[in-house]
Amino acid sequence: MSGVDPKQELRIVGFLCNWCSYGGADTAGVSRFKQPTDLRIIRVPCSGRVDPLFVVKALLNGADGVLVSGCHPRDCHYSDGNFYARRRLEMLKRLLSFLGIDNRRFHYTWISASEGARWQQTVRDFTEAIHRLGPLNIKREA
Amino acid sequence: MIEIGFLKKENLQAFLKELAAKYTVYAPFAEEDIVSFKPLAEGRDICLDRPANLSPKSVIFPQYETLFKYSFLKKEDSPDKVDIKLEEQMDFKDTVIFGARPCDAKGFTVYDRVYKDSDIPDPYYTGRREKTVIIGLACPAPSPGCFCVSVGGGPADKEGSDILITELPSGYVFEPVTEKGKALMQSSLIEDGKASLQEAQKKQEETKNKVKNPFTKTGKPEISQKIFNEDEFWEQALSKCVSCAACTFLCPTCYCFNITDESRLKEGERIRSWDACMFFHFTLEASGHNPRPTKFHRFKNRVGHKFVYYPEKYNGVIACCGCGRCIRYCPVSVDISKVVDDLCEQSAETNLTSNGGKA
Amino acid sequence: MSMEMLRDVVKNVLSEVDVVIGYTEGFDKVHATPLFINTPEQVDRLIWSPICVHNLTTYLPSLKKKVGIIVKGCDSRTIVQYMQEGLINRENIKIIGIPCSGVISVKKLTKAVDYANIEDISFEKDGKINVTTDKGQKTLALTDVQPDKCRTCQYPTPVIYDHLIGDPISSDKPKESVYEDIVEFDKMTLEEKLNYWLKEFDRCIRCYACRNACPMCICQDSCIAETREPHWISQRLTTQEKLMFHMIHAVHLAGRCVECGECERVCPMGIPVNKLKRKINMDMKDLFDYEPGVNPDDKPPMYTFNVDELKIKEHKIG
Repeated sequence: MSGVDPKQELRIVGFLCNWCSYGGADTAGVSRFKQPTDLRIIRVPCSGRVDPLFVVKALLNGADGVLVSGCHPRDCHYSDGNFYARRRLEMLKRLLSFLGIDNRRFHYTWISASEGARWQQTVRDFTEAIHRLGPLNIKREA
Repeated sequence: MIEIGFLKKENLQAFLKELAAKYTVYAPFAEEDIVSFKPLAEGRDICLDRPANLSPKSVIFPQYETLFKYSFLKKEDSPDKVDIKLEEQMDFKDTVIFGARPCDAKGFTVYDRVYKDSDIPDPYYTGRREKTVIIGLACPAPSPGCFCVSVGGGPADKEGSDILITELPSGYVFEPVTEKGKALMQSSLIEDGKASLQEAQKKQEETKNKVKNPFTKTGKPEISQKIFNEDEFWEQALSKCVSCAACTFLCPTCYCFNITDESRLKEGERIRSWDACMFFHFTLEASGHNPRPTKFHRFKNRVGHKFVYYPEKYNGVIACCGCGRCIRYCPVSVDISKVVDDLCEQSAETNLTSNGGKA
Repeated sequence: MSMEMLRDVVKNVLSEVDVVIGYTEGFDKVHATPLFINTPEQVDRLIWSPICVHNLTTYLPSLKKKVGIIVKGCDSRTIVQYMQEGLINRENIKIIGIPCSGVISVKKLTKAVDYANIEDISFEKDGKINVTTDKGQKTLALTDVQPDKCRTCQYPTPVIYDHLIGDPISSDKPKESVYEDIVEFDKMTLEEKLNYWLKEFDRCIRCYACRNACPMCICQDSCIAETREPHWISQRLTTQEKLMFHMIHAVHLAGRCVECGECERVCPMGIPVNKLKRKINMDMKDLFDYEPGVNPDDKPPMYTFNVDELKIKEHKIG
C-alpha cells in the first residue's frame, strides 16, 4: 500500500454508525477489498452518538488518528442524528488545531452500507494521511 | 559545631546546589504569577518574598500516588484460576523542603498525628516524612487573610521545621530545631551566626505583632456548640459557597484522600489521590444516600474537622495553620476565620473546643 | 449611578422576593463577596464598585425561590442563556441591572503593585485607581488592571433587566476585534500551541473551581469528570488528564459560554481557561452567526441544526 509502512502500525480509532458505515465496512470486507490494518472500529448506533469528547479522549490517550463515519445527510436511521453530529464534529475539527493537535488527525465523513469501495478508499487515504503525520506524541506525565 | 548558623545571600544558590547533591531539594519557584514548590532546576527563580500559592504538602503527601501495581496471571497448572501479583511502590528519596513558611511546616505536624504517630502508621506518608528535612523560613510579612498566631502558630513558629531560617538584609540566620536539621548545617558555607540571632529575633517579633487576630470575641477559636448545630447559621453563612475544592486542595492541613483501582485488561494500579470534603461525592454512599447532601453540611464538616473534632482527639490542637490560602483563593471569598468568629460566643458555657466534647 | 438608588430598589425588590443577591465587602479591600439579603437591615451592607467582579447569576438555577439579583452587562447574558435553555423561570427572577464601566482583575492588580499587600484602594471618576500597599502608594489606570473580558466588552449595559440603576452605557469597543487575541494565538505553530497548553494545564490542581463557579456548568454534582462509570478521567494527575477535564468543560459549553470569565477569574493557579471557550464561541459566530446570551428566543447552536448547513463544507482527507 503506497505511503503506508506496514511495519510501523499506528493507532487509528474509527467510530462507525451501525446503520451505514459499519455496513459499508462490512461490504468492503465481504468484497475482499484490501485495506490497511491500523484502524480499530467501534460500532455506535448513530454518528449522533459520537460525543466530540470520544475523539479528544482517544487522541489524548494514544490514538494517532480518529475517523468518524455516519449516514449521508438526510439518510439518518433516526432522521436527524447525523445533522447534530455534523455541527458538533465541525466544532471539534476547528478546536483541535487551537489546542495544538493537527486537525488532519481527525476526519468525519458519510458512507452508506452499499459504498464498500468508498469505505476502502477512505480508510486507505486516512491511514496514509496519518502515516504522513506520524505518531501523535502528547506528553503523558506531568 | 555551629549552634546558630549564618548564610550569606550570595551563597544561597551554592548552598542549595550542595544540598541537591544528596537530596531532592524542593523550593518555592515563581512561574509567572504562581509560586509553588518544585525541585531545584536550572532556570528556575527561587521566590521567598511572597507566600507560595500551593503549600509544599504534595512533597510528602502527593496529590496522587500509586500504592501498588497488580496484575492477574493465569495459573499454569489450572488455567481456570488466576494468581494476583502485587508490586509495592515504596521507593522514597531523601528530600529537603527549603523555604516552607512556618504555617506550611505546621501543616505536616497535623498530618503526623494522623498518619505517622497513630496506632496504624501510614507507610507511604511515614516513609516520605522520615526522609524529608524541612527548612522553614520565618515569615517576613503577613498576607491578606492570614491569622497564624490565633490558631497556635506564629510567623516564626518552629513546630514542624527542622531548621528555621530568618532572612536579614545580608543573609539568612539558621536556627536548628532538630537533629536532622543540625546535620544539614555542616556545610562550609554556613558561618557562625550567633551575632545575628538577636536581629533575627527582633524581626520575628515585629512580624508577629503585625498578624491579625480575626477572633474578635474570644481571641481564639472557641466554638459555641449551640450555634455550631444550627442549620440556619450555615445556610446564612455559606449561601455563597460554590462547593469547589480550592480551599481544601490549597490547605496545608487537609489530608483526606480517595482510593481508586484503575485497571486496564489484566493489570492495574491502586491509586491514592487527594479528595475534598467539599465535593458531593465525598460522602456519597453506594446506596445513593448522601449524609452530607448540601454545601452547608459539607462546610460545617470542614470547620468542624479543623476546629472541633481534631482538637477533641488531639489535646486541643487546632487543625488549621492560619495560612489564609482558603480565604485568598476562594472564588467567592468565603472567609473561614469570619465563619469561626461568628461561631464563637462571648462567655459561652458550652464551648466545643474548650470543654473537649460534643453533648 | 447612586448607592441610595440601588439600596432603594433593592429594598423594593426585597418585598417581592425571598432573597436578593448583591455584593458586600470581603476579607480585604480588593475582594468583594456575594451577599444574600433576606431582611431590609442587610441592605445597608450592599456595596457597588469595580471590585464587584463575581457573576452572581451562577446561583440562580439551583435556588428554588423568588430571587432578586444584581447584574452587570456581562452577567445579564447568563440569564438570557438560562432562558434559552429553560433553566430558570423568568417570572421568579427580578433583575436589577447596573451599567458597568469595567471591573478589576485582582490577579492583574496584584501583579501591577509587584505582589505587595494591598491595604486600601479607591476609584476615581476618571478611571484612575489609587492603591495603598505596605510598600507605598501607587496610581494606576483601571484599564490596565481590568480582566480581558472588559477590554472587548460589547454589553456594558445589561441586555435584560427589570430595574436599571443609572444611565445606560454603550460600548466603545469595536465589535470586529473581540476575538483578536484568539486569532492571534491561533497563528502560532501547532507545536507552540500544544506546548503552551501543556504548560498551562500542568498547573491545574483539579479543584474544579472553574467548573463550580461557571454559571453554565449546570450538571455540578453529576459532572462526568467525577463519575466512576463511565470513568472519563483517571485519578492520576497527569497533564493529559487535566487537559481532558478542561476539554470536557470547553466542549460542554460549546455555543453556551457567555464569556463572563468566571472560570479564569477563580482559578487559583492562574490558568487562562476561558481561552478555549472563546475560541469555540468565535467559531459559533462564524458557523452559525450565533452569540450566546443575547436574545432569549435564540436556540443554542448545538441544540439544533439546519438540513443544509451553509458554512459547513465536507472535508477532504489530509
